[in-house]
Formats: sequence, C-alpha cells, structure tokens
Amino acid sequence: MERNSKPAGAEDASRNLPTKPENENEGNQLHSEDRDEVEAQAAAQWSLAAKMQQVKNYLWNPEKREFLGRSGQSWSLILVFYLIFYAFLAGMFALCMYTMLLTISPYIPTYRDRVNPPGVMIRPYTYSFAFNFNASERSTWISYVDSLHHFLQAYNDSIQDEKNVNCTPGQYFIQEGAEDKEKKACQFKRSFLGNCSGLDDLTFGYSTGQPCVLLKMNRIVGFHPGNGEPVKVNCHVQKGNKSDLKSMDFYPETGTFDLSYYPYYGKLTHVNYTSPLVAVHFTEVKKNRAVGVECQLKGRNIQNNITNDRFVGRVLFTLNIGG
Amino acid sequence: MRAAEILARDGPNVLSPPKETPEIIKFLKQMIGGFSSLLWAGAVLCFIAYLIEFSKDKSASLDNLYLGGVLIVVVILTGMFAYYQEAKSTNIIASFTKMIPRNALVIRNGEKYEIPAEHLVLGDIVEIKGGDQIPADIRILTSQGCKVDNSSLTGESEPQFRSCEVTHENPLESKNIGFYSTTCLEGTATGMVINTGDRTVIGRIASLASSVGHEKTPIAIEIEHFVHIVAGVAVSIGIVFFIIAICMKYRVLDAVIFLIGIILANVPEGLVAAVTVSLSLTAKRMAKKNCLVKNLEAVETLGSTSIICSDKTGTLTQNRMTVAHLWFDNEIYQADTSENQKDQIFDQSSATWTSLSKIVMLCNRAEFKSGQESVPIMKKIVMGDASEAALLKFSEVVMGDVIERRKKNRKVVEIPFNSVNKFQLSIHETDDPNDKRFLLVMKGAPERILEKCSTIMINGQEQPLDESSVKAFQDAYMELGGLGERVLGFCHLYLPEDEFPDNYSFDVESMNFPTSDLCFVGLISLIDPPRSTVPDAVIKCRSAGIKVIMVTGDHPITAKAIARSVGIISANSETVEDIAKRLKIPVEKVNKREAKAAVVSGMELKEMSPEQLDELLANHTEIVFARTSPQQKLVIVEGCQRQNAIVAVTGDGVNDSPALKKADIGIAMGCAGSDAAKIAADMVLLDDNFSSIVTGIEEGRLIFDNLKKIIAFTLTKNIAELIPFLIFIIAGVPLPIGTIAILFIDLGTDIIPSIALAYEKAESDIMNRKPRHKKKDRLVNHQLALYSYLQIGILQSVGGFFAYFTVYTVQGFKPDLLLYLRPLWENDSLNDLEDSYGQEWTKYQRQYLEWTGYTAYFVAVMVQQIADVIIRKTRINSVFQQGLFRNKYIWVGIASQIIIAVILSSGFGSIPVLNFTTLRIQYWFVAVPYAIVIWLYDEFRKLLVRHYPGSWWDKTMYY
Repeated sequence: MERNSKPAGAEDASRNLPTKPENENEGNQLHSEDRDEVEAQAAAQWSLAAKMQQVKNYLWNPEKREFLGRSGQSWSLILVFYLIFYAFLAGMFALCMYTMLLTISPYIPTYRDRVNPPGVMIRPYTYSFAFNFNASERSTWISYVDSLHHFLQAYNDSIQDEKNVNCTPGQYFIQEGAEDKEKKACQFKRSFLGNCSGLDDLTFGYSTGQPCVLLKMNRIVGFHPGNGEPVKVNCHVQKGNKSDLKSMDFYPETGTFDLSYYPYYGKLTHVNYTSPLVAVHFTEVKKNRAVGVECQLKGRNIQNNITNDRFVGRVLFTLNIGG
Repeated sequence: MRAAEILARDGPNVLSPPKETPEIIKFLKQMIGGFSSLLWAGAVLCFIAYLIEFSKDKSASLDNLYLGGVLIVVVILTGMFAYYQEAKSTNIIASFTKMIPRNALVIRNGEKYEIPAEHLVLGDIVEIKGGDQIPADIRILTSQGCKVDNSSLTGESEPQFRSCEVTHENPLESKNIGFYSTTCLEGTATGMVINTGDRTVIGRIASLASSVGHEKTPIAIEIEHFVHIVAGVAVSIGIVFFIIAICMKYRVLDAVIFLIGIILANVPEGLVAAVTVSLSLTAKRMAKKNCLVKNLEAVETLGSTSIICSDKTGTLTQNRMTVAHLWFDNEIYQADTSENQKDQIFDQSSATWTSLSKIVMLCNRAEFKSGQESVPIMKKIVMGDASEAALLKFSEVVMGDVIERRKKNRKVVEIPFNSVNKFQLSIHETDDPNDKRFLLVMKGAPERILEKCSTIMINGQEQPLDESSVKAFQDAYMELGGLGERVLGFCHLYLPEDEFPDNYSFDVESMNFPTSDLCFVGLISLIDPPRSTVPDAVIKCRSAGIKVIMVTGDHPITAKAIARSVGIISANSETVEDIAKRLKIPVEKVNKREAKAAVVSGMELKEMSPEQLDELLANHTEIVFARTSPQQKLVIVEGCQRQNAIVAVTGDGVNDSPALKKADIGIAMGCAGSDAAKIAADMVLLDDNFSSIVTGIEEGRLIFDNLKKIIAFTLTKNIAELIPFLIFIIAGVPLPIGTIAILFIDLGTDIIPSIALAYEKAESDIMNRKPRHKKKDRLVNHQLALYSYLQIGILQSVGGFFAYFTVYTVQGFKPDLLLYLRPLWENDSLNDLEDSYGQEWTKYQRQYLEWTGYTAYFVAVMVQQIADVIIRKTRINSVFQQGLFRNKYIWVGIASQIIIAVILSSGFGSIPVLNFTTLRIQYWFVAVPYAIVIWLYDEFRKLLVRHYPGSWWDKTMYY
C-alpha cells in the first residue's frame, strides 16, 4: 500500500505556491494537507502582511468555509469521534472504579500498614504547636480555651450518658457479631478529666498559667493498643533544663488510655465513638521562656522514635507562659 | 628584501583554515538548544520558589532545591551526551592544511635556498623534482620529463605531462601550470610562482567550498518543528493553568511550582538522547553496508532524497575497460562484461576466432605484475594502458596463460601505438614448428586497419575484401560505436617464408616489411561496463520515486549507452534527438514534451539560463549530463534544489567539493575520492558503488519511519504525566505523581524501549513509496500528535488514575473523600486527618501514602508504556503481521522497563528524595486492563486504516 502517495494535484499545486495558493477543485481534498499547505505558504512568503493573511485564512477561510483548516463537517466528525471515545473511556473508568469499590469492605480498610503505629495529637489545636500566652491577659489564651470547650462538647456527661454505654475498664471491649451491626461505644465523660475538664475551672488553668493540654491517640480500625496493657502517657522537657517542668498532673489519674475504648470499629458502625483522652495539667512551668515539651506514649505496640515522623507515638510542643 | 615586502603584502603562502566554531560554543549550544531552555527555566523557577520559601521560613523544605539541582543535572547530562555524539561523528576538517608542502627549494638572487613553503611569494623561482608536492601555483619555466598527479584537483587519475608551452587558454587545462598541493611524480622542473595561499586554484576551491553554506538538514528542521510544537503546548498549558491556579486563590508560589511540574511533564527529556542513539545505530548499520556517514543527521537526509546526481565512472560502472562485443565472421558476438567475466558464451569454434584470439594475445604490450599467481584474473594488477589491460585479461580468461603462449610465439619486432599511426604492430615467430613463416599482427583504429587490408577472413578462409564485406564492416563499426564503445580493428599477415627467412632482420625505422594488403580478421569493442548491481538499484530508485541523473565528463554517446544499459534512460523512452531520427524531422520541430529522456552536454548546459535548466529538470524524467565540468555540477545541484528536491550528489575530485557541500547530501567515493571530497561530503561510499546509495536510502527511510514511532511512543506518556498536575490543581486531590518520578519515566524506563524501536523492520516495502515531501510529510504531524496526546495519552492517564485511586482506597481514602482534600492533606500541622473509615493519619503517614500513590501511578504508566511500545512497532500493519518477536530489542526494552521499576520501587524507596515506596505485587497489575485496551484499540485503528484507505478514519488516525 502506498502510504505517501498524494492526490496528483497536490504536488503540482505546491510548486505553484507563491503565485496561486488555492484553487477551487481542491475543495474536496485532504483537510490535513490543506493545513500543511497553509504552513508551506507561510514559509514561502516572508512579508508580515502575507503572514497575517495566512493566519487569518487559517483561522477562518471564507472561501472553503473552514475554521482552523477544517470544514464544519470535518469538525463535527472529529467532535463526535472524541465524544464517543471519551464516553467510552469514562464508562470504562467508572466500571473499573465500581468493580474496585465492590471489592472494598466499607467497614474495615483493606490495609492498615500505612496508618500504623498510631500518631498522637494535642488539643487545643494550634498550627505551630506553640502555646504563647500571658496568664494575666485574657485575650492571649481565650482562643485556646474556646477551642477546648468546643472540642469537649461531645464529651459532655449528658451526651455520653445518653449515647454510650458504661464499660468495664481494664479490658478490651470486643463486640462480636456481624460486620455491619452497629457497635456500642464506651463512655468517656468530660468529668473524667478532673481539673482539666473545664467544668470547675472554665479556663482550663490558662488564667493561672497552669495550662491543660489534651492528648488524643489517632484512631486505627481494629487496633489493640498496648497489647493488653494500657498505653501510658509521659511528658518531659524535650531539650534543656529538666527543672523547667517541675510538676504535672494527668487525668484520668492513671495517665493511660484505658483498654475498654479499643478496638475501634470504624465510623460506619462505631457511630458514637469518642476517642479517649489524657489531659496533662502543667502545674508548674518555668515562666517567660519557651519550654519544649515532648509527650510520649509508652506501650507494647506503640513506637515513639520514628525519625521522619515526629507525631507517631509522641507529640512536641512549646509552652511559653508570660507574666 | 623584495620578497619580504611581497610577503608582507600578500601574507604567507598557506590556506586560511576554515572558520571553526569554538568547542565551548558548540557545547553551550547543546546546553541551551531545544528543550534545554525550558528545563533551565524550570530549574530557575525551582530556585526562586525555594528562595521565596526560605526567606519566609528558614526550615523550608529542600524539595524545590533538590528538584532544581536535578533539572540542571539532567540538562547538563543530556547536553554533554549530545555534544559527545556530535563530536564523535564530526571529524574536524583540517585536511586542506594537511596537503600543504613543508619546504620549497627557491632561487633568489641567483642562489638556492631551502625555505618553508609558507614564505614563498609571487615571482619566486622554485625547483621541483619527482616526489615533491608543488609548493604554490607555478608556471613551468623548464621541464625535464615532468609529470604531475592532478587527481586531487581535477579527478584525472592519469599522470599529466608538464612542459613550458601554453597549450590552452584555460590555465586549468594548460600544460605549463603546476598546481599547489599536487604532486610531481617524475622528472624535474623549475617554475615561477604565480599565485600563493588562498589565491591558488585549490585555495579558491577551498574557500568556495566553505562559502557554500551547508543547508540545515531535513531532520534538524523536523526536530525543530517538533520542539516548537511541544514547547508551545508546554508553555501555553503552563500559563493557562498558572492563571487558573491564581484564580483559584492558590498562592503564587504554589502556582509557580505547578508551572514547573507542567513544563517538566511536557518536555520529553529523554527524546533527544533516544533520537541521537537511534541515528547513530542506523549510521553503524549503514557503515556495514559500505555507507560511512559523517554527520548523523545525514542518515535521514539520505532517506528523503528525491534526486540523485551520480557520477558515471566508477560509481555506475566498474571503472575498468572490458571487452564488450566482438565482430567476426560478419556477426556481432556479446562478451560477458560482469565483474568476473566467467560466462563467455560466444562462438569460439570458428577458425576466425582462433586467428583473432592470436592477434589479441600477441599484439599487446600489457603484462601482469609479477607475484599475483593466487589473485583472480580480474583482480590482477596490469601494467599497461586500460584497453590493453582489458584485452589481456580477456584473452587470459578465454584462452588461459597468455604469457606462456607469448613466449612460444616469440616477438621479433614491434611498433607501439602512437597517435599518428593509430595502430600497433608486432611480428612473431609461430609456435608451430613446421611453419617457419613469421606472423605479422596489427590492431588499431578500425578504419585505419581496414585501409591496410585487402582480404577479410570469413570462417577461417581469406576472402577478397569486396564492397559487401566493407558494408558489413561499416554497419558493425557504426553499431558498436553507437553503443558508446571503443572499437578496435584487428588484422594479420603470414609473411611468406621465401621473402622473410628466419634470419631476416626486421627494421622498424625503415619498415622493411609489408603493412598493406593484410587480412582483416575482426573487431573488438571495449567499454567500461556498468556494475552488475546498478540496474536493479536504478529500478529500485525509480519505484521509490527517486530521479537518477547521470553527470559525467564522458562523451554523450558513451554516457547515453551506459545510461541505457543501467536503466537511467529506460528502454522505451526517447530523447528529442531519438524522436527526430525516428520521425525524420529536424530536432527543432520535435515537441520537447514527448521526450522523457534528455542528454545534455556541458556546452549546451553552459548556454542555458536558470529558467531553461529548471524547465529541463522539470520536464524530463531521465536526464544525462555529459561532457560536464565539475563546476557545472554545482549548477545542476542548484537547479535540482530549485525544484524543491532533496539532492544527493556523488563526487570524488577536489573540485567536486562545492557541489558536494551544496547538495543536501554529498556522497564522496571512498576508493577513488580525494580527501577534499571526503571532507566536503556528508557520507562516504566505501565501495564506490551506486547500489550502496540505494541501500543507504532504504535505511534512511526506515529511520524516518522509526523516528516517528519513537516520538509517538515518547509523546504519549507526556499526557499521562501532565494530567495528574491538571487534576491536582482543579480537583484538589493529593498529587498523583511527583516530578522526580516523571524524570524517572522520561530518562529511565522509557529510554531503552524507545531506542529499541529504531531496530524495527519496515512495515511494507518502503522503496515503493514516493520520497517524503519536505513540507507535507512532517516527522510529527497533527495526526501523530493528536493520536498520542488525546487518545492513547488520555487512556494512559485514566489507567494511571485508576491505579492511584486504588492504592488510596485500599488504605482508607476513598475517591470521594480525596476530592478537594488538598488543603487539609498538605497541612503540616494536621496530624489527625480522618480517612473514609474514621482512622486518623499523621502528616508523614499521608506523605508516605502519597509516595505510594506516585509509585502506583508510575508503575501504571510503565505497564501501559509496555503496551505502547508494542503498538508503536507498526503504524498500519497489525503487530502480528510485523511479528511480535522479530525485533528482540523491544523485549530487551520491556524487560528494562520492568527491572528499572522494580529496582526503584524496592531498593530506592528508602532514599527520601526519590519518593518511591514498595508496592504490593497485585497493584502492579491494576493498569493491565488499560494496557490491553490500548493494544486492542490500536489494532482496531490499524484494521480500519488498512481496510478503508483514504477514508476519514485513515486521514485522521494514520500518522
């Protein structure tokens, strides 16, 4: 098959390019060639005006009624083709995604290797993990307090009593039954947090320069933290003088995440699950200086020394309390 | 003293070396040419982005800095690679200077001095002797048997006699001028310097050659065209999305980073390397077939050739006089003129042949050089002129052991050929012991021989030479002469024993023996026969739409005869003169349009205006230029180029070099060619054979097709690299593929498969197509771009996204959640981001998952590129017609893709900058259905293209 052969007229026409660019009987020729011919002419004719004319002709050729070198019919064929092609692609993609999602359980993620071991976060949430405030100036800490109050709404005793069950502490709350059955969640009441509950001291100690920081372990579906022994929280000065952080209190007093809150069954079935918290009450912190604090989780299947990830099993923040 | 003045005025007697671009400039050109400037821009943007980030936050991530560094390394490496390839393939031109003689013996103030040749000045008297190179253009004052070798200048290989007489108005033709850089072979001479340095003849040719600009090679134009397309796409998409990003309230810094990603995804970093390697692979392949390519791009130029201007002698012919026809017993016999002359089939039983063969054998001064017993007859070196050598070899082949027979027929006396007598004569004893007669044998110009004869031998019987036999002789002579052959007549006479007893003393001076009333025996005609492979090669050219023009210094009749015998003038086409002869009308009355063929002599060409030449070239398909000077070659080449043709020209002499340079592809002869011709040429034919050019053209066409495939293959995945950025910007999903991974596709997994495509065999007979039209058949046409970008490219992107969504989903992030997740996803302080299952992720865990996504997308593209390389094996045939396993290198390439991906995903995952992670084995296969769809779809496309040629589908889908 002769692929390069062109209709006989084409070659001759190109030779006569500079004199007479187009003639009518070429009208039904290859559109692609016409386009190339336009290019060829552009190369042959140097003057700017001629070039502009070429461009204009290319954009809209009134003689052949062509836009960008294609006639209306050609354009519509192209559009129809791509419409069909992309519709087919979209269909195929949708089918693939649908099939893939069918194989995915809505209750348990297929793999949990990337989210494990669990990370730790603190409340109140700050972008920079630095608590800079002056106990005597309300405006410097009110945002932390508001944030904590807001966060602890879901832990209000009334809500917990209403929605969740009271569990036996010290053992995993394992719930048998079908995957899709709704799971019960254990109560974690705000009142468990004692001085850091914000119930007695509405300012969580910020007004006295003794701030409360809440620790929350990241949820992982089916994870049994501590392997039967509760995960404990421990905080210390990260770098520098240990005496900067003289004393602290933990709530619940054990400073642990109780086993009864685990395992987590996923948000679809474990509807009212509230993450257990450990509050750290920094009762005596060196004032007027940035004190770097590291709170670590300690437990059997917990890691807290991954170099690249400073939030797995530990959390770092600075306390800079003025006044 | 005067000499010093003139030296100061004219400058030293040296050729000014051709202007050379300094190496550093060449290197820098490679660094900024093509895509490199885009990559530089990307690198600079990276550094700017890093600096902005750094000025805001001292602990800014080093990613941008790394990326900028990597980009610079990529640019420098590819630049160095291209530079190295170019330096390797360009041999630096210095051989003009090599031709300069070192010292000259000069007579000044009546004393001889030996001075360096560059100190020679106008008017110096120099002495030359055999073996010297002539130190400047000199006019001979005295000469003792001085002969010079002018072959490097004029291409004449015969030694030229030099004397002090002016023999021609044209200094080039006159015998009293010795030319700079030619060699004096024997004798001595003194001469006066008439030109020095660049003003010498060779200096003028050298400067003419360097002033004839080398046109940009077609492939360079094509690649530039392609770079413009891709760069245009990259920059315009980049700018559009920069604006979109700004409008979507992204930070300017982020928008800049997107811009870098878009540029990077669009630029096929590995392509230049792949193209260069493919070209040099083809060049190697061509070298094996005796085409030595000096300039890589010439490989493809040869493929687009539409006119070949070929020399006759040595290229189309064997460059060796050979017996072509014999005439005896009133009949013309044909001799075998093939390279080995094994099949001499003419009638050797006639007694006339016995006599003729004896004359041929005896009346011949040529001898084989000694010590060549084992060499085949045709390859033996002969001492003697070309015709005698031909006859010697002929008789050696037909009768065997000529020297031994000559000994038996001892030569008594001989008169060598000279231009006054126009015959050659010798007298021998016979080898018949009973026959005491002497045998006189004579050969020479047929008409002169006939004059001396009174009888003619027919079937071994002497018959009186009557009118009818004279007529028969005339007819035969005319016919053989009309074939362009050199005809020789042969006659003999047995001298009567009584008048010439065996002690008779023959005297050449007084000619005391008869030289008339001899017996005419026969004619033998000689020709430099065409090489046996040439007619096929010419037919191939014709079917390939390539016009073959013969350009020769030979006589028109000879030229035409050879042109006919090799098919340059086909059997049924006529010249204007032929038509005139057939219709018996004057030449002027013939309609020139009817004649397909034309034989134009140098004189006619001289008279022609450029317009007339154009008309000639356009209207005749079969053209022979005869009696042309090498300078006229340039005129012919320029005429052909005005026809928009891509012209290949062969040449061997120094004065061919301007034409060789002007031609789109200059082809020098490896054996016969002078150094200057080889330097000016783009290609050297090692065996001087025309058919090697045709093989070269075939390779050139093949590489053009294969480059198309390589580019189509390379462009496809650019879309698959680009779409992630666009989706990332518009839909705010986590980034599907990182810039480093993109570089690893472009410069890692894709390199070997794309080079492997250069080994692909032709899909159909590429020599049955017309030559590529310079402006219409682009390397990258819009069909190729659209099919690669908008069809297969999009398909690959979809496959990549499927893999991407899959690995996110199995880890807990379902697709619906991912949309517009980007602000949270990339928030460094958000270390408890919830996934679709309510699990909470730290930033680094998400980051690691993102890299897993990169790896998945990378692997998906790699898998689909396997399908892509398979479909790119053919453009129209089914892959199965082509043979899935015929090109082993494709499979090497596919293996390399997989191996590189496995290494990256396993070993290098721990290197944080590379951002690859291990992928569970099953996710390597996620994109396989898409790969299969790519294959099936392309087979479907090819099927329709094959079955509906000329249809809308064909025009839109065939690239």
